[in-house]
Amino acid sequence: MKMAKMLLALAAVTLLAVPALAADTLKVGVQAPITGSYANEGQGIENGVRLLAEQINAKGGVLGKQIEVIPCDDQGTAMAAAICAKDLVNKGVSMVIGSYTSTAAEAAQKTYYNAGVLQTSDGTADSLTEKGYWTFLRNSFPNSAEAEFAANYMVNVKKYQRIVVLSDFSTYADGLANAAEAAIKKLGGKVVSRDKIKADSQNFTPVLTNIKSKNPDAIFFAGYYTDGGQLRAQQMALGIKADFIGGDANDNPDFVKLAGSAAEGAFIINVPSPDVLPYEIAKTFIADYQKKYGEMPPSIWGLMNIDGMRAIIHAMEQNKSFDTKAAADYLHNMAEPLPGITGPIAFAKDGNRKGGAYVVKRIQADGSYANEYVQ
Amino acid sequence: MDIFLQQLANGLTIGSMFALVALGYTMVYGVMRLINFAHGDMVAASAFVGLTIYTQVMGQATSLGAVIVIFLLAALTMAVVGVILERVAYRPLREAPRLSAVVSALGASLVIQNGIMLIWGPRMRIFPELVPQVYWDLGGVVISLIQVIILALSLILMVTLYLFVEKTRMGAAIRASSIDQDAARLMGINVNNVIALIFIIGSSLGAVGGLFIGLYYRGITFNMGWQYGLYAFIAAILGGIGNIPGAMLGGMLLGLFNAFIAGYVSSTWADAFTFILLILILIVRPTGILGERVAEKV
Repeated sequence: MKMAKMLLALAAVTLLAVPALAADTLKVGVQAPITGSYANEGQGIENGVRLLAEQINAKGGVLGKQIEVIPCDDQGTAMAAAICAKDLVNKGVSMVIGSYTSTAAEAAQKTYYNAGVLQTSDGTADSLTEKGYWTFLRNSFPNSAEAEFAANYMVNVKKYQRIVVLSDFSTYADGLANAAEAAIKKLGGKVVSRDKIKADSQNFTPVLTNIKSKNPDAIFFAGYYTDGGQLRAQQMALGIKADFIGGDANDNPDFVKLAGSAAEGAFIINVPSPDVLPYEIAKTFIADYQKKYGEMPPSIWGLMNIDGMRAIIHAMEQNKSFDTKAAADYLHNMAEPLPGITGPIAFAKDGNRKGGAYVVKRIQADGSYANEYVQ
Repeated sequence: MDIFLQQLANGLTIGSMFALVALGYTMVYGVMRLINFAHGDMVAASAFVGLTIYTQVMGQATSLGAVIVIFLLAALTMAVVGVILERVAYRPLREAPRLSAVVSALGASLVIQNGIMLIWGPRMRIFPELVPQVYWDLGGVVISLIQVIILALSLILMVTLYLFVEKTRMGAAIRASSIDQDAARLMGINVNNVIALIFIIGSSLGAVGGLFIGLYYRGITFNMGWQYGLYAFIAAILGGIGNIPGAMLGGMLLGLFNAFIAGYVSSTWADAFTFILLILILIVRPTGILGERVAEKV
C-alpha cells in the first residue's frame, strides 16, 4: 500500500513536471557517442548542433521560440541508445539529431516513432529506412549507394581480380560489406574471402594472416576508423601487398594517425571532406565552427547531421507549425531541395536522402587526401 | 606452414605482453592471496603516462635514448602509484575478510579507470611511431622490429625477475612471505617492505606491458585495461596463480592459443574459446599448469 502511494506520488510529480518544462523553448535532443570509441565524432555532432542553435537563437529562434539543446550520450551502443531515447522523449524533445552509428540510431528508432519525435541520423545502414517510420530522416546516403559505387570502382576502374571483403559485426559495417559483396558479384568481380573482425579488439593479425594466404589484390574494409587505422598498419606489417579500400566510416583524421607511416596509399571512399566542400554555406559554417571550437569539424558526419537539423527547422518554419508529422510530410514532398552544408538536401518518401556524391581519396605521404576518382 | 609460423610469431608477441601483465597479478596473489583487479587499469594508465612523458617531458623526441627514458620514467611513475595503491586500498584491509579486499580492488579499478578518463579524456589517444616500421620477410613469415623488441625485452625482464626471486636475499624474503607471512615475520623479514616491493615490481612490469600495447597497436583508450587485465588474469590462472614462471608460461600459451583459434577457427570465437579454456583448467587442474601449491592453508 505504501509502495503504491509512493508510485502514485512519483507519477503525479512526473506528470506535473513535464508540461511545466515544455513551455516556451523548442527542445532539440542530441543523441551521440559523446564518450567511448567514437567520442571524436559524437562531440563533433554535439558541438555542431550547439553552434547552429546559437546562431538560430541569435536571429530570434524558430517561429519565436528559442532552441534548447539536450544532449544524451549513447556511447555508440544499442543499450545506451535505448535509454537515451526514453530519456529524451521524457524530456519533451520534438526532434533528435543523431546518432553517429547506425546501431545506436536503430536501437532508438522505435521509441521516437511511437512518440512522434523526428529523428535525423547519418547512419548509413539500409535497414534504418526499411521499417516505414515516418519520423526517421536519413541525412547521409544509404549503404547500398556506397556499395554500388565501391564495387564499380574496384571491378571496373581498378580491375581487381581477387577482392577480400572485411567488416565488423555492427549494423552499418555488416550491411555495407554484404551490399558491397553482392554488388561486386553482380559486376562479375571475384570475392575470395568475406571475413569479420571484432571491433576494438586491436589484434587483427590472425585474421590478416589468413587473408594473406588468399593472395588478394584488394581488401575492402567496411568498418570504423579506429579499427581501420590499426588494420592498415598491421596489414603493412604482415607484408600484404593488396590495396586497402576503406568504407566511409574510415574517413577520420585518426585513421591516418593510427596507421602512421603505413597510411600512405590507402584508399577511402566517402562523400567529400569538410575542407573541400564547395558550397558557400559550408564555408561560413565551418569558419564559425573553427572560431568557436578552435578546430575543424572531425568529419563530414557531424555536418550531415547539422543539415538534417536545418532541414527539419526549415520545414517547421515553412509550415509555421511545430507539428512533427506536418514537418515530415513537407520534407518528403519538397519540390526544390534545400541548399545544405553537404550539398542539396531532399528526402525520398522512405526517409532516405536523395542523391549521392562519392569520391575515392588516396592518402598521401603527409597524411593528406588526394581525390583519385570522382563519381 | 607459412601461415602456421606467422600465427606463431603473432601469438608470441601478444603472449609476451600478456605475460608481463600476468606477472603483476601472480606476484600480488602469491604474497597477499588477493586478486589485484586494479592491475589492468594500472597497465592502461601507464600507456597514457608514457604518452604524456613523450609529449610534455621529452618534447616529442624520438631517439633511442628518449624511448628508454620514457620507459624508465613511466615504470617509475607506475611503481609509485602501485605503492600508493597498496597503502590506500589494500593495507587497511589486510586483516579484514578477503571479500572486503576484493571489493576494494574492484573499487580501485574503477577509480583508476575513471581517473584516466578525467585526466586524458574519453577519446582514443594515439601513440607516436616511436619504433621505425622495419620488417623482415623470412620466407613468407614477416617479422617486424617492434615484435622482436617486445619479445626480447619481455624475455630479458622475465629471466631477470626469475633470477632475482630465486637467487637473491630479497627474493628469498618474497618467497618466504608467500609461504607464511607470520613465520616470515618471526624470521625477521619486514613483510610490509616485501609487499611494497611486490607492488613496485608488478606495477613497473605492467607499465612496460602498457607501453608495449601503445607502441604495438598505437591506439589507447581509457577502458582498455579491462580487456588486457582479464586476459592476463586468465594467463596467471592458466600457469598457476602465485607462481612466477607459471605466469610467464601462461601468458605465452594464452597468446598462442588466441592466435591459433582466431587464425584457424574464427576471430569471433577467440574470446569464447579462451573462457572455455579457463573453465576447463579450473575443472581439470585448478592449480594451473605449474601450480603445485596444496589447496588452502586454514
